[in-house]
Amino acid sequence: MKPPADELMRTAGLIKVFDGDGGPVHALRGVDLSLAAGEFVAVMGPSGSGKSTLLHTIGGLEPATRGEIWLDGRRVDGLSQAQWAMLRRRSIGFVFQTFNLVSTMTVADNVELAALLGGATRHEARERREELLGELNLSAKAGAAPTRLSGGEQQRVAVARALASKPRLLLADEPTGNLDSSNSADVLRLLGRFHRRGQAILLVTHDARAASLADRVISLFDGMVADDAEVRPPLGLPPAAAGVLRLSG
Amino acid sequence: MRAAGRWISADLAARRGQVLVVIAVIAGVVASLLLSATVLAGATNPWQGLFAQTRGAQIWMRLAPGTNTHDLSRISGVTDVAGPYATAVATLSQGPVQSQVSLRAMTPAEPAVGKLLVRQGSWLSRSAPDGVVVEASFAQALHVNVGDGLALDGIDGNAARVRVIGIADTSDQGFYPDQTPGLIWALRGVVDRVEPVPGHIEELVGLRLADPAQTGLVVQQAVTQLGSSSVLSVTTWIQVEQSMARGDPLLGLLLALFGLIALGGAVLAIANAAAGRVLVQLQELATLKTLGFTPGQVMSMVVAEQAVIGVAGTAIGLAAARELTIPLLQGLPSGVLPAVMPLPAVWVALIGGGTELAVVIATAVPGWQAARVRPVATAVRPQPTSHLSWLTRTALLPRFPLAVVLGARAAFLRRLPAALTVGALAVTMTMVTIGLGFLSTVDDVQDNPASIGLADALTVSPGELSNAAARSIVYGDRQAAAVYPSVQESTLLPGDTTSITTLGMGTSSRPFPFDVAAGHLYTAPGEAVASQGLLSVLHLQVGEYVRMPIGGVPVIFHIVGRIIEPEYDGQVLAYGLDTLSQAGAAMPPVSYSLVLRPGVTADAGRAHLLRGAGEGLDVSIVSNPADQLGIVRAMLTGLIVILGLIGLTSLLTASAVGLRDHLRDVGVLRAMGLTPAQLMTTLVTSTTVLALTGVAAGTAAGAALAGRLINTGAQAYGIGAGIGRPPSVAGITVAVAIAVAAASGAAILPARRAVRARLATVLGT
Amino acid sequence: MRLPLLALLAKEPAHGYQLKTLLERTFGEAYPSPNIGQIYVTLQRLAKDGLVSCQEVVQTSRPTKRVYELTPEGRDALATWLDEPSDGPRIRDDFFMKLALGPLAGASDRMALINRQRRHYLNLMRGLSGMAQEPGYGKIPRLLIEGAMLHLQADLDWLERCQQELM
Repeated sequence: MKPPADELMRTAGLIKVFDGDGGPVHALRGVDLSLAAGEFVAVMGPSGSGKSTLLHTIGGLEPATRGEIWLDGRRVDGLSQAQWAMLRRRSIGFVFQTFNLVSTMTVADNVELAALLGGATRHEARERREELLGELNLSAKAGAAPTRLSGGEQQRVAVARALASKPRLLLADEPTGNLDSSNSADVLRLLGRFHRRGQAILLVTHDARAASLADRVISLFDGMVADDAEVRPPLGLPPAAAGVLRLSG
Repeated sequence: MRAAGRWISADLAARRGQVLVVIAVIAGVVASLLLSATVLAGATNPWQGLFAQTRGAQIWMRLAPGTNTHDLSRISGVTDVAGPYATAVATLSQGPVQSQVSLRAMTPAEPAVGKLLVRQGSWLSRSAPDGVVVEASFAQALHVNVGDGLALDGIDGNAARVRVIGIADTSDQGFYPDQTPGLIWALRGVVDRVEPVPGHIEELVGLRLADPAQTGLVVQQAVTQLGSSSVLSVTTWIQVEQSMARGDPLLGLLLALFGLIALGGAVLAIANAAAGRVLVQLQELATLKTLGFTPGQVMSMVVAEQAVIGVAGTAIGLAAARELTIPLLQGLPSGVLPAVMPLPAVWVALIGGGTELAVVIATAVPGWQAARVRPVATAVRPQPTSHLSWLTRTALLPRFPLAVVLGARAAFLRRLPAALTVGALAVTMTMVTIGLGFLSTVDDVQDNPASIGLADALTVSPGELSNAAARSIVYGDRQAAAVYPSVQESTLLPGDTTSITTLGMGTSSRPFPFDVAAGHLYTAPGEAVASQGLLSVLHLQVGEYVRMPIGGVPVIFHIVGRIIEPEYDGQVLAYGLDTLSQAGAAMPPVSYSLVLRPGVTADAGRAHLLRGAGEGLDVSIVSNPADQLGIVRAMLTGLIVILGLIGLTSLLTASAVGLRDHLRDVGVLRAMGLTPAQLMTTLVTSTTVLALTGVAAGTAAGAALAGRLINTGAQAYGIGAGIGRPPSVAGITVAVAIAVAAASGAAILPARRAVRARLATVLGT
Repeated sequence: MRLPLLALLAKEPAHGYQLKTLLERTFGEAYPSPNIGQIYVTLQRLAKDGLVSCQEVVQTSRPTKRVYELTPEGRDALATWLDEPSDGPRIRDDFFMKLALGPLAGASDRMALINRQRRHYLNLMRGLSGMAQEPGYGKIPRLLIEGAMLHLQADLDWLERCQQELM
């Protein structure tokens, strides 16, 4: 059990009910989870399990029906839309599966806007933008419209945009969902890199590879947590090709 | 082909509301174009319409009593003979005022040639043996209305009281008082009562020709046939036309400019309506291509659909114009537009065909764009600038809300559509502003006759009184604010076909308050002011000298100023009366121009004078051409409203199209931390900024152009530049407010929906 | 074959033919019909290993029946099997057996089975990811690693399907 002092985010008995076509839809039926500072947690589960809803609720894009959400020691589940918006500017970064960038601004402006919203001065915002884009090797495309980038490039810019404001927590909803394996790998590598620098990430995914990079994997089923376990690389895995051949049987 | 037809009818049915609006706009535009063209044609050349409608006679001859006219119809070129009508000369007494009248005997039956157009009341009938019909311009000049009683006196003093039962227009003679005597029609019985002596009754006969060019020839032959001793006078259509054509230059000017606005508005409306519709359909058209329509088919389908709408709108507009023409123009005060001929078919075809053509052309460009749309509707491709630092630069302004900056920026993102929207709005607003400028000019002319040189309300001539008696009455009138003695002469300069009017008004020390547009009034003997028309005709400028015969003596004048003068064809030279005595010229008969005290109407002032003077004093009311402008004001207002509707429609369409782009980003922006209020602001700003820009540009352009347009036209017409007035601030404020409200309103509902929507819907997941 | 039989015997003792019938009923058409001879051979081996015990029941009008029963060692082996995540060459078959037969054995709930297997997959994936990132490998081993990862993804997806259907 991690000491509470380290705790970045916590939900208690989180319940979310939607008004669906055929009656109320219980997307979340009491989810308890927690995330420590710098921790990388992946949430997996079949479709309809409530993964995306969980993420949206934690990020304030959907109001919770019942339950508690604690962010950085502060209770946030009852905040108004406007207050959530302010929270998202500085403390939370969001990456979606698609439509991650403001289509009407250049790549660079997207990142810069996020930084500005996060409270940076214009100078700082510009620096942050250059730094992030440089790290992504996308400086050349900084002036381009988002639609001119490939899917993988767009998602990498999206991650940069989400991190431009140096948020405490990065929420990512199926960021590799629309990408092929090599592009996925790029994006995941990026996430890993930032994680190693101490970024806390909550990732919703059905991509095992993405989930395996996390410190912990939470399994969601039918709106509730079914499993919550750390990921440990297998012991004594021989680096030789023989071991690989055995595994692939 | 069938598939195309299916799609067209399905699409029209699906967007019934929009389509009906577009059709209404086109119909409105076509109808106003037709109406304004009709009015314009009628105003500038009333004789033609009138002649055609009345089936007039080109030649009218006054013959001695008893002349045999039976063989006139045999003269080659003569198709019809009107009359002969018994005509007597009489005097109409209205209190002390007397006017010369030509009393013509006619029957209740409508004549075949030289018909009368009854404007008010009814024609002669046996059930009203004392009834007479007065000619319209005569009636207006004498303030005679249907139901009035008139006292007619024959040459020998036989009096008859008659009652006015109708007022009619005719193409037989020019307008009163340009052509005298005034014309009254009555039954033979009345004529006999007024003039019982057969020897004093002349005969009036009219000849209608197959070819008007033969007029001179036919006149010669007729005179020969009848004997020159029998023919007392001959008037031809040329004189009548000239008399009538000397209509109101002010009116003609305003109507011409008005027609211009209508034309501009038409083009705009159509372009907007057609193009806007296509832009909205672009996504759908992409789907059509996936179904297998070729680019050529898509384009022709789009154009065909708009053409159908255009035809519907044009047809309705034509029908509406036809229905509205008569009632609309019957509302005109008589004398303004004596007759309105239905427009020549050529014009109608031109307007109708032109409209349709405009629809097709306006559709062609977006239609071609539609054809090029890729089968899979790809994401929007904006063209952001390559400058990366705009955001930080603008975010510099510390108090400037980020949402507004984002919204404003989003508005101008796609440069071409933004430019088009702004341009269309600007042009519409320009025209609305110009229209408002015209309206305030018309208002000013009406409220302020002095500004067009009509400071005086009454003109008094001694009549039967002696000069001294008249003078003392006039100067003693308490209702007069100022009196200016005036003389008037007409001079025909050698080589010129039109006459110049010289006016001696007031003295150099007390000049008549003309409206001086340039230079100053005459302040010393020998100085004069001239109207633009005179300056143009004689190729003079202010400051130069001119020699003009006054009272038989050539006098040299120094032109010191230019005045606004809407009457006398705009060819006027005015000077102080003391110039005459100094030049040693004979003084022509003097009359007096009276400026009444404020609050005293012309009628009241006249009545007061006549009471004091008894008989003998001849008081006439100076007509204000602006009195006839009521109809123009109504039409201008109507046109401004139509233009407003057009602007509004194009604004709403543009907003809808623009919003579609920006709604997509709502999800991301929300995730990035823009509050709902900020999101709404962004979206609403994106439409409102465009509206404001267009409206501001349009107002500025319109304000600059309105005055210039009016003054240029006034100059061309001879009135002289300077009558233009700026558009009213209230009007412009209202227009701007409406535009901004519409733009914001268009954005608010979709914005609200998008901001509140579940994230999943917005993200499309 | 060994462990499925142990699982079936966990419920109650049975003889060869009963076990064959049970297997057919459980798996139906999806699995090839088990060979009775194979079953007997496996049972004998299990008995030799001490995981099952055999009892001969004498019947009056029939040949002697051999009834098999789980020994305590057998129970232990079964528990170990159920508690460990499936691994090895026949990873899928093995897990599927557990999923299908576990509840019969009265053993841990399916959710726990699934969770355990998932954790194992993820750990394996982690290892493979790590390997894939190491620069030392040539093209062929890399492709093998890639293939293994794809298979793992497929297994996880199937795991999710099982969860959806059976829960």
